[in-house]
Amino acid sequence: MSFDWSFFWGRLVDPGEVFLWALVNTIAMAVLAMALGLVIGTIVGFGRLAPFRAVRFVCAFYVWLIRGIPVLVLLVMFFSGLAAAGFYRFADLTLFGVTLTASFQAAVVGLAVHEGAYMGEIVRNGIQAVGKGQIEAAKSIGMTPLQLTYRITLPQAARVIIPPLGNDFNHMLKTTSLASVIGVQEIFLVTESLSATTFKTFELLVAVALTYLMLTTIWNFVQMWIETRLRRHETSDHTQRSWRERFSAAFTAEPDGASFRR
Amino acid sequence: MSETPQMRRGKDIPETENGSPPLVRADGVRKWFGHLEVLKGISLSVGQGEVLSIVGRSGSGKSTFLRCINNLETYQEGRLYVADDLIGYREVNGKLRALPTRAIVQQRRRIGMVFQQFNLFWHMTVLENVIEGPIRVLNEPRERAKERARELLERVGLGDKFDSYPMKLSGGQQQRAAIARALAMQPELMLFDEPTSALDPETTGEVLSVIGDLAQSGMTMVIVTHEMSFARRVSDRIAFMEEGLVDTIAAPDAFFGQSDNKGLQRFLSTIH
Repeated sequence: MSFDWSFFWGRLVDPGEVFLWALVNTIAMAVLAMALGLVIGTIVGFGRLAPFRAVRFVCAFYVWLIRGIPVLVLLVMFFSGLAAAGFYRFADLTLFGVTLTASFQAAVVGLAVHEGAYMGEIVRNGIQAVGKGQIEAAKSIGMTPLQLTYRITLPQAARVIIPPLGNDFNHMLKTTSLASVIGVQEIFLVTESLSATTFKTFELLVAVALTYLMLTTIWNFVQMWIETRLRRHETSDHTQRSWRERFSAAFTAEPDGASFRR
Repeated sequence: MSETPQMRRGKDIPETENGSPPLVRADGVRKWFGHLEVLKGISLSVGQGEVLSIVGRSGSGKSTFLRCINNLETYQEGRLYVADDLIGYREVNGKLRALPTRAIVQQRRRIGMVFQQFNLFWHMTVLENVIEGPIRVLNEPRERAKERARELLERVGLGDKFDSYPMKLSGGQQQRAAIARALAMQPELMLFDEPTSALDPETTGEVLSVIGDLAQSGMTMVIVTHEMSFARRVSDRIAFMEEGLVDTIAAPDAFFGQSDNKGLQRFLSTIH
């Protein structure tokens, strides 16, 4: 086995402009798809608890349909399938001086549609987790339904929703690699093209794997910080987790309450 | 000659024990859960400043009736008034028409409620729990609301717990905070739904003493409870409910002296 260490270190220290732009694409795709997925998921989650049967049905149908289709198939469907059938063809779009390629847009939409179905279940679960007693207490002090939603239901549901949502974003960071199939210039596609010209396949794959690992690790820390803030009501007032505890938690365990798995 | 309250309100109002005008007036209140009739025609009244305790077995309808008073449950027949509000309905040609949510919300604002499970908002500190209603519902300035909340919390013995989250408090402390939250709305009427049933014996005492103080202060209260000696001490009258009806309603001494009332005696003997 030969491993070109100097090539490998060179890639890590100076990955080059093409790769860095690909990294921007990867992160942008993940963030945008997550944001859009959250919007879809919130609508679907509330929709599944709506007082109207038709709305409940449509939302349940969406969740059932999308959760049954591989995200790779969805991506190709949005990019090539819809165009082939003449429904919709994504075209390059320039917004504020930034060009979003057709494949990038299709990837964001495809990932968001997929994420929305999972998010819908998470949101529904969060809303249902708000206790009946909490709602009655809010009513008993004379809150209107709107005040009740904003002041009690949403803040309490958010504490149930956010841990699994953080896990989903961890998934999303990695799932963006599938967008390479429809030609989005993200880090996996760039790595593959590079390995075709340099034949340093293994070194490049290890480097790109480390890049994903770095992204998810940074996210782990962000997630932990958010969850610590959200759990103020149950942790004692004065104890702080030491850095050593935080460090080991970030590497070994899933954050508490984040048991959501695909 | 000055107008009597009865004249102002109109016809046939049942007299209350202490002769004061009734704040709560139930007249043949009936309620069904599906086919099950849980309230079979409750008629009683609670005077201004009166403390009424309701006792009875679980399933007798006492909590359901209490919850009807602030519309957490809806009754289907009869009339239930708090002051001049017909709770939950307006009357059109002798028929009951459900009120819109907005009006129901208004009716609840004058009624405080304390729950068996406390139901403090767990994502807020104790102080935030108490100021939530005054700020959001009564549009009170934040500083003023905080000032009043601190006074109320001092009064229920939680002067050192302003910034604690409910989960870090004992049951008794949570219930006292919940009482402060209800009082912060400056209600005309306080409803207690088995306020000590979820507490251990040590903390039960501290909650009962807060409720007792409140009774002394002249607050009108309806208390659903299993604490017989407490009911005897603080109540002006005690009602015994059985199978969706008020079986007996009397002042404490008369209530406990009814040796000929078999149903009541059977109940009293099972509770201790």
